[in-house]
Amino acid sequence: MIEFSLQVESRIIQAILPELGKIYAASQRETVFPFVCPNPLDDDLVEAWENGLAEEGRGDREAVARLMSDPKFAHGRVAVPEAEAEDLLRGLTELRLAIRSHSLAEVSDEELESGEFSLSGRDASERIGYFAYLVLAEIQERLIERMG
Amino acid sequence: MPHQAIPTPETEEKTSREIAAPWKVIVLNDPVNLMSYVVMVFRKVFGYGEQKATKHMREVHELGKSILWTGDREQAETYVYQLQRWRLQTVLERDD
Repeated sequence: MIEFSLQVESRIIQAILPELGKIYAASQRETVFPFVCPNPLDDDLVEAWENGLAEEGRGDREAVARLMSDPKFAHGRVAVPEAEAEDLLRGLTELRLAIRSHSLAEVSDEELESGEFSLSGRDASERIGYFAYLVLAEIQERLIERMG
Repeated sequence: MPHQAIPTPETEEKTSREIAAPWKVIVLNDPVNLMSYVVMVFRKVFGYGEQKATKHMREVHELGKSILWTGDREQAETYVYQLQRWRLQTVLERDD
Protein backbone atom coordinates (compact mmCIF):
# COMPACT_ATOMS: atom_id res chain seq x y z
CA MET A 1 0.00 0.00 0.00
CA ILE A 2 1.27 3.47 -0.88
CA GLU A 3 0.28 5.99 1.77
CA PHE A 4 1.09 9.64 2.39
CA SER A 5 -0.40 12.87 3.71
CA LEU A 6 -0.85 15.85 1.43
CA GLN A 7 0.86 19.11 2.29
CA VAL A 8 -2.36 21.09 2.12
CA GLU A 9 -4.84 21.89 4.85
CA SER A 10 -7.87 19.63 5.18
CA ARG A 11 -10.20 22.60 4.71
CA ILE A 12 -8.83 23.09 1.20
CA ILE A 13 -9.42 19.43 0.35
CA GLN A 14 -12.95 19.69 1.72
CA ALA A 15 -13.52 22.87 -0.31
CA ILE A 16 -12.43 21.28 -3.59
CA LEU A 17 -14.13 17.90 -3.16
CA PRO A 18 -17.61 19.01 -4.36
CA GLU A 19 -16.06 20.66 -7.44
CA LEU A 20 -13.94 17.58 -8.10
CA GLY A 21 -17.07 15.43 -7.85
CA LYS A 22 -18.87 17.61 -10.42
CA ILE A 23 -15.96 17.61 -12.85
CA TYR A 24 -15.46 13.88 -12.40
CA ALA A 25 -19.15 13.29 -13.22
CA ALA A 26 -18.92 15.55 -16.27
CA SER A 27 -15.79 13.74 -17.47
CA GLN A 28 -17.76 10.46 -17.48
CA ARG A 29 -20.17 11.93 -20.02
CA GLU A 30 -17.74 13.58 -22.40
CA THR A 31 -14.27 12.78 -23.67
CA VAL A 32 -11.59 15.26 -22.65
CA PHE A 33 -8.74 13.34 -24.28
CA PRO A 34 -9.33 12.30 -27.88
CA PHE A 35 -8.12 8.82 -28.74
CA VAL A 36 -6.82 9.34 -32.27
CA CYS A 37 -6.35 6.19 -34.30
CA PRO A 38 -3.33 6.56 -36.60
CA ASN A 39 -5.25 4.86 -39.42
CA PRO A 40 -8.52 6.85 -39.64
CA LEU A 41 -9.58 5.22 -42.92
CA ASP A 42 -9.86 1.76 -41.38
CA ASP A 43 -13.27 1.87 -39.66
CA ASP A 44 -12.79 -1.46 -37.87
CA LEU A 45 -9.42 -0.40 -36.50
CA VAL A 46 -10.77 3.02 -35.41
CA GLU A 47 -13.62 1.32 -33.55
CA ALA A 48 -11.32 -1.21 -31.88
CA TRP A 49 -8.82 1.54 -31.03
CA GLU A 50 -11.36 3.88 -29.42
CA ASN A 51 -13.32 1.15 -27.64
CA GLY A 52 -10.14 -0.51 -26.36
CA LEU A 53 -8.76 2.69 -24.86
CA ALA A 54 -12.15 3.68 -23.43
CA GLU A 55 -12.52 0.25 -21.82
CA GLU A 56 -9.02 0.33 -20.35
CA GLY A 57 -9.68 3.86 -19.07
CA ARG A 58 -12.61 2.62 -16.99
CA GLY A 59 -10.27 1.14 -14.37
CA ASP A 60 -8.41 4.45 -14.18
CA ARG A 61 -11.61 6.35 -13.41
CA GLU A 62 -12.65 3.75 -10.84
CA ALA A 63 -9.34 4.25 -9.02
CA VAL A 64 -10.05 8.00 -8.84
CA ALA A 65 -13.59 7.34 -7.57
CA ARG A 66 -12.21 5.10 -4.80
CA LEU A 67 -9.76 7.81 -3.74
CA MET A 68 -12.41 10.53 -3.64
CA SER A 69 -14.85 8.40 -1.67
CA ASP A 70 -12.24 7.37 0.91
CA PRO A 71 -13.14 9.28 4.12
CA LYS A 72 -9.42 9.71 4.88
CA PHE A 73 -8.94 11.69 1.69
CA ALA A 74 -11.07 14.55 3.03
CA HIS A 75 -8.41 14.88 5.73
CA GLY A 76 -5.53 14.92 3.26
CA ARG A 77 -4.59 11.26 3.50
CA VAL A 78 -3.94 9.25 0.33
CA ALA A 79 -3.87 5.46 0.47
CA VAL A 80 -3.72 3.36 -2.68
CA PRO A 81 -2.78 -0.30 -3.22
CA GLU A 82 0.45 -0.52 -5.22
CA ALA A 83 -1.34 -2.54 -7.90
CA GLU A 84 -3.70 0.41 -8.49
CA ALA A 85 -1.11 3.19 -8.49
CA GLU A 86 -0.74 3.35 -12.29
CA ASP A 87 -4.52 3.36 -12.78
CA LEU A 88 -4.80 6.22 -10.31
CA LEU A 89 -2.01 8.19 -12.01
CA ARG A 90 -3.74 7.93 -15.39
CA GLY A 91 -7.13 8.70 -13.88
CA LEU A 92 -5.75 11.80 -12.17
CA THR A 93 -4.28 12.96 -15.48
CA GLU A 94 -7.69 12.61 -17.09
CA LEU A 95 -9.29 14.53 -14.23
CA ARG A 96 -6.68 17.32 -14.52
CA LEU A 97 -7.39 17.50 -18.26
CA ALA A 98 -11.10 17.80 -17.41
CA ILE A 99 -10.41 20.60 -14.89
CA ARG A 100 -8.34 22.38 -17.53
CA SER A 101 -11.22 22.03 -19.99
CA HIS A 102 -14.06 22.98 -17.57
CA SER A 103 -12.74 25.37 -14.91
CA LEU A 104 -9.53 26.72 -16.43
CA ALA A 105 -10.55 27.18 -20.04
CA GLU A 106 -9.80 30.92 -19.84
CA VAL A 107 -6.25 30.37 -18.58
CA SER A 108 -3.61 30.30 -21.32
CA ASP A 109 -1.33 27.31 -21.85
CA GLU A 110 1.67 29.50 -20.97
CA GLU A 111 0.15 30.63 -17.66
CA LEU A 112 -0.81 27.10 -16.74
CA GLU A 113 2.55 25.59 -17.68
CA SER A 114 4.63 28.27 -15.96
CA GLY A 115 2.41 28.38 -12.87
CA GLU A 116 2.39 32.18 -13.15
CA PHE A 117 -1.31 32.38 -12.68
CA SER A 118 -2.91 35.16 -10.66
CA LEU A 119 -6.03 34.22 -8.73
CA SER A 120 -7.17 37.81 -8.28
CA GLY A 121 -10.04 38.71 -10.56
CA ARG A 122 -10.84 35.06 -11.21
CA ASP A 123 -14.25 33.70 -10.30
CA ALA A 124 -14.82 31.08 -7.57
CA SER A 125 -15.06 28.21 -10.04
CA GLU A 126 -11.66 29.07 -11.51
CA ARG A 127 -10.04 29.50 -8.09
CA ILE A 128 -11.40 26.21 -6.74
CA GLY A 129 -10.58 24.51 -10.03
CA TYR A 130 -7.01 25.73 -9.83
CA PHE A 131 -6.59 24.51 -6.24
CA ALA A 132 -8.02 21.14 -7.28
CA TYR A 133 -5.63 21.05 -10.24
CA LEU A 134 -2.66 21.67 -7.90
CA VAL A 135 -3.78 19.13 -5.29
CA LEU A 136 -4.12 16.42 -7.94
CA ALA A 137 -0.65 17.34 -9.25
CA GLU A 138 0.77 16.89 -5.75
CA ILE A 139 -0.84 13.45 -5.50
CA GLN A 140 0.70 12.50 -8.84
CA GLU A 141 4.16 13.77 -7.84
CA ARG A 142 4.10 11.89 -4.55
CA LEU A 143 2.84 8.70 -6.19
CA ILE A 144 5.59 8.83 -8.81
CA GLU A 145 8.23 9.34 -6.09
CA ARG A 146 6.96 6.30 -4.21
CA MET A 147 6.64 4.12 -7.27
CA GLY A 148 10.38 4.61 -7.84
CA MET B 1 -22.36 -4.68 -58.62
CA PRO B 2 -20.08 -2.03 -57.10
CA HIS B 3 -16.96 -1.23 -58.97
CA GLN B 4 -13.89 -2.42 -57.19
CA ALA B 5 -10.42 -1.28 -58.16
CA ILE B 6 -8.14 -4.17 -58.95
CA PRO B 7 -4.72 -3.58 -57.42
CA THR B 8 -1.99 -3.34 -59.98
CA PRO B 9 1.58 -4.44 -59.25
CA GLU B 10 2.47 -0.73 -59.00
CA THR B 11 -0.15 0.08 -56.31
CA GLU B 12 0.65 -3.10 -54.40
CA GLU B 13 4.30 -2.20 -54.44
CA LYS B 14 3.53 1.34 -53.24
CA THR B 15 1.36 0.06 -50.37
CA SER B 16 3.99 -2.39 -49.18
CA ARG B 17 6.62 0.36 -49.44
CA GLU B 18 4.45 2.65 -47.28
CA ILE B 19 4.07 -0.04 -44.62
CA ALA B 20 7.74 -0.98 -44.73
CA ALA B 21 8.98 2.63 -44.56
CA PRO B 22 10.13 3.74 -41.11
CA TRP B 23 7.50 5.50 -39.02
CA LYS B 24 8.09 8.10 -36.35
CA VAL B 25 6.30 8.12 -33.01
CA ILE B 26 6.04 11.79 -32.03
CA VAL B 27 4.84 13.09 -28.65
CA LEU B 28 3.43 16.63 -28.55
CA ASN B 29 3.64 19.10 -25.70
CA ASP B 30 0.66 19.82 -23.48
CA PRO B 31 0.42 22.21 -20.54
CA VAL B 32 -1.19 19.72 -18.15
CA ASN B 33 1.08 16.71 -17.73
CA LEU B 34 3.86 16.94 -15.15
CA MET B 35 7.47 16.57 -16.26
CA SER B 36 7.99 13.70 -13.83
CA TYR B 37 4.90 11.98 -15.22
CA VAL B 38 6.12 12.29 -18.83
CA VAL B 39 9.57 10.92 -17.91
CA MET B 40 7.97 7.99 -16.08
CA VAL B 41 5.73 7.18 -19.06
CA PHE B 42 8.66 7.25 -21.52
CA ARG B 43 10.59 4.89 -19.24
CA LYS B 44 7.66 2.50 -18.92
CA VAL B 45 6.57 2.47 -22.57
CA PHE B 46 9.97 2.46 -24.29
CA GLY B 47 12.16 1.06 -21.52
CA TYR B 48 14.41 4.13 -21.73
CA GLY B 49 16.79 5.03 -18.92
CA GLU B 50 16.24 8.12 -16.79
CA GLN B 51 18.68 10.23 -18.83
CA LYS B 52 17.23 9.41 -22.25
CA ALA B 53 13.64 9.76 -21.04
CA THR B 54 14.47 13.16 -19.50
CA LYS B 55 16.14 14.32 -22.74
CA HIS B 56 12.96 13.51 -24.69
CA MET B 57 10.76 15.13 -22.05
CA ARG B 58 12.84 18.34 -22.34
CA GLU B 59 12.50 18.28 -26.13
CA VAL B 60 8.74 17.98 -25.81
CA HIS B 61 8.66 20.81 -23.27
CA GLU B 62 11.05 23.16 -25.07
CA LEU B 63 10.48 22.37 -28.75
CA GLY B 64 6.83 21.33 -28.59
CA LYS B 65 7.48 17.76 -29.72
CA SER B 66 9.96 14.93 -29.69
CA ILE B 67 10.50 11.88 -31.87
CA LEU B 68 10.47 9.04 -29.37
CA TRP B 69 10.97 6.12 -31.65
CA THR B 70 11.39 5.25 -35.35
CA GLY B 71 10.72 1.88 -36.89
CA ASP B 72 8.14 -0.38 -38.46
CA ARG B 73 4.50 0.60 -38.64
CA GLU B 74 3.02 -2.15 -36.47
CA GLN B 75 5.32 -1.51 -33.52
CA ALA B 76 4.85 2.25 -33.94
CA GLU B 77 1.07 1.84 -33.70
CA THR B 78 1.51 -0.20 -30.53
CA TYR B 79 3.57 2.62 -28.99
CA VAL B 80 1.01 5.25 -30.01
CA TYR B 81 -1.73 3.17 -28.37
CA GLN B 82 0.26 2.82 -25.15
CA LEU B 83 1.07 6.55 -25.04
CA GLN B 84 -2.58 7.48 -25.58
CA ARG B 85 -3.44 5.08 -22.78
CA TRP B 86 -1.33 7.40 -20.58
CA ARG B 87 -3.12 10.44 -22.12
CA LEU B 88 -0.09 11.79 -23.96
CA GLN B 89 -0.84 13.46 -27.29
CA THR B 90 0.92 11.35 -29.86
CA VAL B 91 1.07 11.27 -33.65
CA LEU B 92 2.50 8.82 -36.14
CA GLU B 93 4.35 10.15 -39.18
CA ARG B 94 6.20 8.49 -41.99
CA ASP B 95 9.92 9.09 -41.83
CA ASP B 96 10.62 10.63 -45.22
